[in-house]
Amino acid sequence: MNCADCQDNLVACMEGLLDAEQSEQCQAHLESCLACRTEYAGITRLQKRLIARGRAAAEVSMTETVMRRVRQMQTPERNTIMSRLLKHRWGFGLGATATAAAAVVLMMVLTPANVRAKAADVMARGAQAVAKLTSIHFRGRVRTAPQDNFSYIDANSAFYPIELWKQFEPDLEWRAEKPLRVAVMDGKSTLMLIKSANLAMKFPKPSPSAFDTEWLHKLANLSNTITNELKRALAKGWKMNVTEHHGADGRAKSVVTIEAKSGVPENDYLKNMFMMNADTRRVYRFDAQSELLESVQIYLTAMAGETLIFDLQQIEYNHPIDPAVFQLQLPPDVNCYQNEMQKLPDNEKYAAMTAEQAARAYFDAFSRQDWTEAEKFRRSTVDEHTRKIVGGLDVISVGVAFTSQGYPGRLVPYEIKLRNGEVTKHNIALKKDTKTGRWFVDGGGF
Amino acid sequence: MNSLEQDECMELTDQDYVKRSRDGYPDDFRMLVQRYQRALFAYLLSRLGNSLQAEEAAQESFVRAFLSLKKLRKPESFYAWLLGIAGRVLKEQFRSQARRQLERAVAETLRMDEPANEPEYPLEEAIAVLPESYRQVIMLRYYEGLSCQEVATRLEMPLGTVTKMLSRAYALLRQELKARESAELTVNHTHQHELR
Repeated sequence: MNCADCQDNLVACMEGLLDAEQSEQCQAHLESCLACRTEYAGITRLQKRLIARGRAAAEVSMTETVMRRVRQMQTPERNTIMSRLLKHRWGFGLGATATAAAAVVLMMVLTPANVRAKAADVMARGAQAVAKLTSIHFRGRVRTAPQDNFSYIDANSAFYPIELWKQFEPDLEWRAEKPLRVAVMDGKSTLMLIKSANLAMKFPKPSPSAFDTEWLHKLANLSNTITNELKRALAKGWKMNVTEHHGADGRAKSVVTIEAKSGVPENDYLKNMFMMNADTRRVYRFDAQSELLESVQIYLTAMAGETLIFDLQQIEYNHPIDPAVFQLQLPPDVNCYQNEMQKLPDNEKYAAMTAEQAARAYFDAFSRQDWTEAEKFRRSTVDEHTRKIVGGLDVISVGVAFTSQGYPGRLVPYEIKLRNGEVTKHNIALKKDTKTGRWFVDGGGF
Repeated sequence: MNSLEQDECMELTDQDYVKRSRDGYPDDFRMLVQRYQRALFAYLLSRLGNSLQAEEAAQESFVRAFLSLKKLRKPESFYAWLLGIAGRVLKEQFRSQARRQLERAVAETLRMDEPANEPEYPLEEAIAVLPESYRQVIMLRYYEGLSCQEVATRLEMPLGTVTKMLSRAYALLRQELKARESAELTVNHTHQHELR
């Protein structure tokens, strides 16, 4: 490796993104070249300063406080229908949506694709119709595992209910729920309970869309649906269509269809496993008179064919939501997920492990029923229920780690035999904790 | 595999949000607060040495920025403009709180906080003059705490592009810091001469 190659790869090298051979070459060049070493040291110093600044500000969350103050300082609007619809669009970026959509409409009209222009127009009007949104509640059904992440999808699974309550004023609060998982943001903190694991996760500040609920919030806000969908449809050439028909209630309906591509390669392990990395056809139905969004269907468009994975028929706009909805009582014996891992006396030993070594050590600890050791790779304790399942397991194999587009960790294939004789073959997801440098289990393995 | 917090609509530029906030869609200002709250807080903390005061000053700066948004001539320079407002908020704080005593305490805190031989020039001011695309990558990587892969996903760009942008951003930042620190040294040197 020469100086130019080394400097081209310096950041990738520092971030641990080079493969083993490239990394060795880069290290070898740095050892032999003073100029590159000086450059490396300069960047490292800068990085340390940036990391320190970022850490100092990591817990800061003032968005809602600032927006509340800003709202209080606004002059009250005139209460006309037009002002309500067009002038003062509080409500989570819906205004941006309408403006962006209008711009997109203009661009589309200039293209021959008038159908797409019509589709964009329908969506822009849909956004305007809920411009003064104070709350939204919707209930749909999704093909998923009831205990798994909110965005997890499985085309072969049965449908399970999924629900979102979101209040925009006076303070932002929300609750997302599926049968074995519930997340609540009460304006002060964000809390999730995974009922099947009796595990709670608490984030000590209000979050607009934590715990993998982002896709539900995008749907609720409509801003992402319109701003992003229209922008991307244009930029990426996604197919858009609009049809008009009469619904069962005898009213005219406009149906917009968008065929979205995730950009994740076909052979990627996580492809079509979560809403954000799935190729989907989305069908939005608007009432032509009220212009409100009435229903959404999302179809997974895999190689094998198309499957309806999300069906939303019940949407309530601006209905008062009982404050109790935004409260969550945890079971007294709940196991708490720790957001921060602590450094160990022999931390370096663990920080030096490869993902495969960490996976092996984790399962070996289960095998020995050494729960203290296993918890060095977790952000929660191993509860009694899990201990009964995994204690004394046999490790059949641990494979070579691989990556997936968009996932910032490693996936390690494994095969184990549980004490009850059941053989499990899966991939464990491991992520590096930034503070301790240790791998921790992020999914796929108990 | 939980993502604890993801901001929404990160793809739009500062200019987009400023324009929309001004054009009757004030709630879009939220996106600018989300984008810069941590960097602004870090900047104010480095000056005040007290997190409570830094947070209050940051909130005040955002509120004033919102109320003055119509005066912003270059919406693409929102962050640099915001830092200017924060600087004025700082001055008022210093004035109103037993100025001399506080400044001495702050100087002491800064000396304790800064690693030996590290220049004191606030990084955030140098970040403010980066082109927006580089600034966005730095913000996400360090102030939002995302990994390079997560930045790539958020911005919908290849991982290699992110590392190249970071590399370029580091070079620009180091250049900017060096220039400002040299200027600062010259000012200090001149000032010492005057004192004699």
